[in-house]
Amino acid sequence: MKLVTSILLLAAFAAHAFGADTPSDRFVGYRARVREVLDWRAAQVKPDDPKTAGLPGIAAKLARHEDAAWCSAQVVELMKAPSGDMFWMFPCVSIAYLGRDQLTPEAKAAMRRAWREYMPLRGDTENHWAMYYTSLYLMAELWPNEPGETWFSGKSSAENLAEAKAYLISWMDLATTVGQGEYDCTHYLGEYCIPMLYLATWAKDPEMRQRGRMMLDWILADYAIDTLNGAYVGAHARTDDRQVLEKWNGLSSFFGWLFLDNCPAPAGYGGWGIFFAAAASASDYTLPEVIYRLGTDRAGPYLSREHKRTRHRWRNSDVRNAPVYKQTYVTRDYAVGSDQGGMLQPIQQHSWDVTWAVADPRGVHNTMFSMHPHVSIDEMQMYFTEFPDWMPTLVTLQNKPSYDKEDKLLGGSEFEQVCQDHDTIVALYDIRPGTKYEQVNGFFSKDLVRLEEDASGWIFAQGGNAYLAYRPLAPYEWRPIAAGGKRLVSPHRRNGTILQVAAAHEFASWDAFKAAIRALPLTVALEPKPKVTFKTLRGHTMVCAYGETPQIDGKPVDFAKWPLFESPYLHADVGSRKLRMTHGRLEHVVDFNTLTVTDRVTQP
Amino acid sequence: MKHPWILFLGLVALTANAAPPPPHTLFVCVSQSKPFIIGSQVVLRNGLYQVEDRANPVHIGFNHPRIDAVAVDPRDPRRIYIAGNNGVMRSTDAGRTWKIVTSWDMTEGKDINVDPHAPDHVYVALPDGIAVSRDAGETWHRAQAGIKRAYTQSIIVDRTRAGRVLAGTELGIYLSEDGATTWTKVFASTKTVHDVRQSPHDPRVFLAATQAEGLQRSTDGGKTWQELTGVGRAHTLHNVGFDPADPRRLIVAGWNCGVLVSEDDGATWTPRNDGLPNAQVWRVGVDPDFPGRLYASVNQSPVYASDDFGRTWKVQWFTAATVWDFVFVPRS
Repeated sequence: MKLVTSILLLAAFAAHAFGADTPSDRFVGYRARVREVLDWRAAQVKPDDPKTAGLPGIAAKLARHEDAAWCSAQVVELMKAPSGDMFWMFPCVSIAYLGRDQLTPEAKAAMRRAWREYMPLRGDTENHWAMYYTSLYLMAELWPNEPGETWFSGKSSAENLAEAKAYLISWMDLATTVGQGEYDCTHYLGEYCIPMLYLATWAKDPEMRQRGRMMLDWILADYAIDTLNGAYVGAHARTDDRQVLEKWNGLSSFFGWLFLDNCPAPAGYGGWGIFFAAAASASDYTLPEVIYRLGTDRAGPYLSREHKRTRHRWRNSDVRNAPVYKQTYVTRDYAVGSDQGGMLQPIQQHSWDVTWAVADPRGVHNTMFSMHPHVSIDEMQMYFTEFPDWMPTLVTLQNKPSYDKEDKLLGGSEFEQVCQDHDTIVALYDIRPGTKYEQVNGFFSKDLVRLEEDASGWIFAQGGNAYLAYRPLAPYEWRPIAAGGKRLVSPHRRNGTILQVAAAHEFASWDAFKAAIRALPLTVALEPKPKVTFKTLRGHTMVCAYGETPQIDGKPVDFAKWPLFESPYLHADVGSRKLRMTHGRLEHVVDFNTLTVTDRVTQP
Repeated sequence: MKHPWILFLGLVALTANAAPPPPHTLFVCVSQSKPFIIGSQVVLRNGLYQVEDRANPVHIGFNHPRIDAVAVDPRDPRRIYIAGNNGVMRSTDAGRTWKIVTSWDMTEGKDINVDPHAPDHVYVALPDGIAVSRDAGETWHRAQAGIKRAYTQSIIVDRTRAGRVLAGTELGIYLSEDGATTWTKVFASTKTVHDVRQSPHDPRVFLAATQAEGLQRSTDGGKTWQELTGVGRAHTLHNVGFDPADPRRLIVAGWNCGVLVSEDDGATWTPRNDGLPNAQVWRVGVDPDFPGRLYASVNQSPVYASDDFGRTWKVQWFTAATVWDFVFVPRS
């Protein structure tokens, strides 16, 4: 509690100094939203229909300290047939901890027995492992000094604890030195935040509790820097077919709503948001004031650069975790973000986009991008340990239905290279002959307020207060999209897209914007390799040639010096394990070398 | 006795019931949840099945949807090792209880093998290399020195000599003569070698099923390899087997080629897919106790059996399954 008081005092001072809403007001609002989530989920439960409860309903009720006897009976029932691997484990953790003083001995015994008789899979991706090992860690702490026979793993409590701790520290080391593997995910953000909140709230070991709190700061700062009104913008290691278009509509926006209060909550609070709220009801974790401010202050544009890494590569690569170079340019009206393209993730990769601000994001497709609809057994084998031929089909059956579709708008490609300078993107494609889909798909939203094909070759559009100039480098045709909008299909292997974005208020008129774009010097060559030389609206000259390091104003982009975080707000070197967050005079430093968090207000 | 014939019939029945089971225990590593998604509802029981009578699979151990391989200690059939998503698991009581004996850094095991001449030595193929235990699974250490890009799908110990090991990896086959301390590349491939098997007739003969280099054979204990060209390279081959009853009869399972059989020591090959629902075959098992009997794991289908080496097939077990391995273990 001391810590919370200190933070609130510090934040109150800061708020006073900056004349903003006070952090204590924000904290009150945050707690109210946490309650709103739990109230909503608890209200879904009909005592005469246990199916309406499930693990989320029980967690919500326990968090509200109500109906403990009924919850206990449901736990006994649900523990008879566990299923769901780590997605079963982490709800169990919240129920076990929230129910320590509420559940009956029978319910506790039923859960204990389930953790012996049911063997959850460890999974095959990082979010799986974060949930699995955090859950194993906390349950081993909850049930200490027990022999291996009482655990599904056959390992004693001490062995489980040691293994889980070793994994979690190893993952934190990776994430804080070369970046997260599943970076900036519109859904999986939650599957890191929830385990980390659990650690921060329930770990008995002060070191692990501190690590949980610090990782949560780290992850939320990483999210906040790349948001526009709560929507995760730019490149994502993983997103899905819906969220890639309706940018707000993901679990990530639950955190925008909960912590930043600048967007609506997604339907059902993103599903897993229930468990974050359940733990939050018992937690003293509060969002550091700096993160709140960097997530909401869009007074002036800023550029954020980040160093990430690919997920583990098992095959078809000499490098276990290849680097990812990511940048996002954020303004009040729009945000443009990208990674370098290429084969960075096996599924659900999104390499670049522009997202424009909208008054109400619900149902709105406020984005534009292009991509190559790539399907590859080699890609699957690089990141999964499965047999080859069945994998693309298997992926489509696993809630990734578009993976092997010509009209998909989601996914990375080994034949895509992306270069960004501020609000300009050049995406080049050199698709190998014989590739299944030899084309580029461009997304044109149903929510564009203008769309004009210009004789110059540019396509001009407007979304919100953003003016958009899209230049396809090869001939194209239009095809409708079932969910609205239309798809630019350019069936040419050597291809590309140039996108230049600007704010409407920068120009006297729509025609002035178009004239400015037409006047920009541009040379394009598609043979022997795609190459673009383009002078941007911001006055920078981009030279992007497929297979070569891009140049900005005559200087090659120095990927070797790409920072872990670099922006007006986030500062970290690769390898540092230390993230300094600043906003105005506020500073918040998370240092995994010393396992310390430091807050201070600098002198004017 | 009023009805002595009842006693006679009873004795006959008892005698029939007491008939000794086949000399080998069949273990089947199976996933019945199709297609299984980690975190999804599991209704049917997956994992390790034991089929003593070849008729009734009995599930043992945990409901674990992904167990890729099983190996048994030749000294003690109650000591069973399995390799799967959670790593290496070991039972010392015939599958009643299990322990995950590897840690977070050795998981998703693909194959496992016990050295018959040094049964405390256990080798596991991992997506990031090879590990070995010298103390019957208590502790494990990495053993992939010199193997670049060490994704390993298959590992087999030469039954004629302790410490002689062959590993099918992402980029070919490696041979170790010293218990995986050092490795020599004996066959180069561009994609994964899925299966390496030793002939029950001539221990110098090995066959290897590959993703992109067809079917390879060695006749010198795995030192050199030659392609059996009749199979071709058009299809991914998943596994290979020998007929213990006939040294000239070989069998291959693969994707879109189904079951291929050679009756002339690999010179010519014939598809034997009549009666199978499709030609996407994950695995084929050759029963050492019933000459001519095969088991095939057909994609999204039941396990099929044949008693005439693939000329005809019938549904044998499950309604839809993926079998990752058929393993026959001598009962004694």
